[in-house]
Amino acid sequence: MFGPVNKSSLNRGTLANITTLRQNWGLMIALFTAALAFPFLPGVEGWMASQAALIVVYIIAAQGVSILTGYTGLVTVGHGGFLAIGAYTSALLTKYFAVDLIIGIISGAIMAGVFGFLLGLVFLRLSGAFMAIGTLGFAFFVGTIVNNIPIFEGREGISLPTNRVLGMEIGDTGFLVISVIALGLTTLLIYRLVHSGVGRAFMALRDAERAAESSGVNRVKYRTLSFTISAAVTGVAGGLNAHIVNYVSAEVFADIWYSVDFLVATVVGGSAMLMGPFIGGFFIVMVPFFLEELADFSFILKGVVLIGVLILAPAGIAGVIARPFQALRAKRICPKSTGQPK
Amino acid sequence: MTEILRCENVLVSFGGVVACNNITLGITEGKIIGLIGPNGAGKTTLFNVLTRFQDADTGSLYFRGADIGRLKPHDMASMGMTRTFQNINLFAEQSTLDNILIGAHHLIGNPFANMFGLPRARKNERKLIERARQIAEMLRLEDQLNNEVKNLPYGVQKRVEMARALASNPEIILLDEPVAGCNEEETADLKEIIQHVNRELGITVFLVEHDMSMVMSICDYIYVINFGANLAEGTPAEIQSNSDVIKAYLGEEDET
Repeated sequence: MFGPVNKSSLNRGTLANITTLRQNWGLMIALFTAALAFPFLPGVEGWMASQAALIVVYIIAAQGVSILTGYTGLVTVGHGGFLAIGAYTSALLTKYFAVDLIIGIISGAIMAGVFGFLLGLVFLRLSGAFMAIGTLGFAFFVGTIVNNIPIFEGREGISLPTNRVLGMEIGDTGFLVISVIALGLTTLLIYRLVHSGVGRAFMALRDAERAAESSGVNRVKYRTLSFTISAAVTGVAGGLNAHIVNYVSAEVFADIWYSVDFLVATVVGGSAMLMGPFIGGFFIVMVPFFLEELADFSFILKGVVLIGVLILAPAGIAGVIARPFQALRAKRICPKSTGQPK
Repeated sequence: MTEILRCENVLVSFGGVVACNNITLGITEGKIIGLIGPNGAGKTTLFNVLTRFQDADTGSLYFRGADIGRLKPHDMASMGMTRTFQNINLFAEQSTLDNILIGAHHLIGNPFANMFGLPRARKNERKLIERARQIAEMLRLEDQLNNEVKNLPYGVQKRVEMARALASNPEIILLDEPVAGCNEEETADLKEIIQHVNRELGITVFLVEHDMSMVMSICDYIYVINFGANLAEGTPAEIQSNSDVIKAYLGEEDET
C-alpha cells in the first residue's frame, strides 16, 4: 500500500530486537535463579528468608504502583488500601475456610482488582494532584473500615494458621520460594503489558490524552483497566504480606505510610522501568534495616533520597543504569541514527 | 461525488460566546478541502465538534450519511476519521515507532489476546510494526524510528504526527494548521506529503491553515468562516476575488 519497502532495514531491526530481548530474559532468569537459591545458601538463617520475602512484597507492591503511576501517569498515594484488601481477603479465607495459601493470595488479588476497577470508575475525571488526594482518601477509607468493622478485629489483629500449600506446611524458606514465584509471574505480566498494545495505550494516555483518544484509545476503558491490573498486582503483595508473619492487624495495614512507601519505592527505583520496582523495593526495606537504631532517620533518609532522585534523575535509579544500554540498543537497531536528529 | 463528512447548522456556545453559529459544510470524498477564517472564527471549535471532542448545542453531523453526533472521540479512528492537532500533540517520551503504532491502536484486536501474546495477536502485531515501518519510510522517518520524539526537530515532529494519523488507516484526515510554525522548507515538505497522501492513497484531507499561499495552492475547495458563521465557499480563485472574504481579512475601508 505504501510503495516499495526496504527489506534490509526491516530485517536488521527485527533481528536486533530479538537479540536484546534474549539478553533481557537472560538477566531476568539469572536474577530469579539467584533469588530462589538464596535461602539454601550456607549461612542463611530463617529470619533472612522472611526479610527477603518482605523485599519481594515491596517489589510486587511497587510494581502495582508503577502500572498506574509510571505507565498510565496517575499518581497514587493509596495503594496501601489495595495491600490491605489483598491481605485481609487472604487472611479471612485461610483462617475461616482453611483455604490453600495460593488460593488465598489469588483471591486477595481478585478482590483488590475488583476494588481497583470500582475506584477507577469513581476517579474517572481526576488527574494530577487531585488523583493523589483522592487515592489518599481511599487508603484512609480502607483503614477506617478495617479499624471499625468487627470481622477485621481492628487493632487486636487476626492470627493466621500455619501456611499450607497443596496440603503441605511450609516454613520461611518455602514461603520465600512462593514469593519469588509470585514475583516472577507479576514481572512477566508487566513485561507483556508494557510491550503490548495495551501498554502503549496506557502510555499514550499518560503522554497526550487527547491524541490518544483520537488514535482510538478508549479513555474510560483503558484507565479502568490500568486501575484494575495495578490494584490486583498490589493485592498479591498484600496476600503475601499477611502470611509472612501469619498475622494481620489494623495497626499495620491501616498505616498510611505503606502507601507513601510504595510510591517512594516506585519513584526512586524508576516508575516506568521494569527494573525500577526491584531497586525501589530493595531500597525501602533495607533503609530501616540498616538504620534500626535510628528509626526516625530512615524517614529522613527516604525523603532526602526521593528529593535527590527527583532532581537528579527523574526517570529513577533504573533510568540512570539503563541509559548506556539504551544508547547501545538504539545504535544496534538503527546504525544510521546517531541519536542526533538530522 | 459523494460527501464523506457533513455538518449542518452546528451551533456551539461557551457561556455567552458563540463560537460556531449555524455552520453548514460538506466534505467531498477524495478532495483536499480548506477551512479558513480570521483568528477566533471558530475553526478549531468546528474541528473539535467534528472529531467529537466538543459537543454541539444544536446541529447534526454525518459521516457517509450516518449520524455521528453521539459518538465519542475514540470511535472516530475505527470509523475512518483521524486528526492532527494545532500544537504538536505527540507522545513525547516514546519512540517514533511507538507513536506510529498507537495510531494503529484500533487495529490491535482483542486487547487481552494482544497483551498475553497469543499467536494470532503476535502475527497481527508483527504486521502492524511492518506497516508502521512502511509509513515511516514513506514520510522519510525510517532513521528516527527508535529516537524519542521529544528530541526531534519541529518539522520532523510534524511528520511523525502525520505518520501516526496515517497508521489508523483513515479515509479522511483533519489537519489543524499542519504547517503552523514551520519554515519554508518544512512547509514545502509537508505540502508535498499532504498531496501525496491525497493523490496516491486516496485519503480525503480537510485542513485549517493560516498560510494562504499554501491553502490556495493545494486546496480543491475552500470554506471561509467568520465570527462563527459561514462567510463564503468556492474554489481558491473564487475565494481570492470574493469581496466579503477580503473585507473579513483586511477590514472595511473607512468611508468617511
